[in-house]
Amino acid sequence: MKLNEAAVFKWVVIVGIAAAAVIALTLLTRPLVGSLFGLALVIAGCVYGYRWIEQKWRELGVKKSRS
Amino acid sequence: MESATVAVSHGDHHHGPPEANQSSRIDRQTLGILLFIVSEVMLFGAFFASYFFLRVVVDPPSWPPHPYELPVAVAGMNTAILVSSSFTVHYALESIRRGNRAGLKLGLVATWLLGATFLFIQINEYVHLGFSARDLSFGSIFYSLTGLHGAHVFVGLMLLSFATIRAFRGHFGPEEKDHLGVEVPGIYWHFVDIMWLVVFVTVYVL
Repeated sequence: MKLNEAAVFKWVVIVGIAAAAVIALTLLTRPLVGSLFGLALVIAGCVYGYRWIEQKWRELGVKKSRS
Repeated sequence: MESATVAVSHGDHHHGPPEANQSSRIDRQTLGILLFIVSEVMLFGAFFASYFFLRVVVDPPSWPPHPYELPVAVAGMNTAILVSSSFTVHYALESIRRGNRAGLKLGLVATWLLGATFLFIQINEYVHLGFSARDLSFGSIFYSLTGLHGAHVFVGLMLLSFATIRAFRGHFGPEEKDHLGVEVPGIYWHFVDIMWLVVFVTVYVL
């Protein structure tokens, strides 16, 4: 899979769903709970994003060595 | 006769400067916009650091400070408008990938209109807020964060304007290399959208 607009668009959807979850939790409980949940999501997102970029980089490297 | 022979023999050889060395694993345009976005994330990071410092470390009695209030419902509506614009720019790109020029034009025009609506509502919000950037550190950081994002929306609109004008002039095609002029502004627009989601949740909701 190539690193393109469609790949970045998936991140819009992921961040949108995460933001909606934080908003819902904040409205249902307290801003502090929402903030902590948001922080946990940001950390999880950073780990996932790092792995995602690593995988993309590997795929691009494989493509280059084949061509 | 002699010139024809020369032309044929030249056809076998490469003319002009040598091919540029492709040392990167990604094409130059995509790598350029990704590096630019990384630098932009750091810029926004500095502003968010200031925001959290003022809110958590300085720890005022209430946030926003009394008697200021933020129009959360209007900003929420604006968020929906901006998120929609990411879907329309994605539609525009999917259309040109399938060779659908009408879809490309429709998607780009819709994205531009949604982006302009977002910016218009934000300026209107500034006019009716009742506080300025001079009012406490809250006012300063609020206008800095939302203004920084608004400036990015403006730049994104400029990029989309160029892409839309080119689309109406018949540029772009289904081949990957033929629609980079939409793809790169599209990536930038998604970044602006993601940043707004973070700004909205941080400034208006939490």
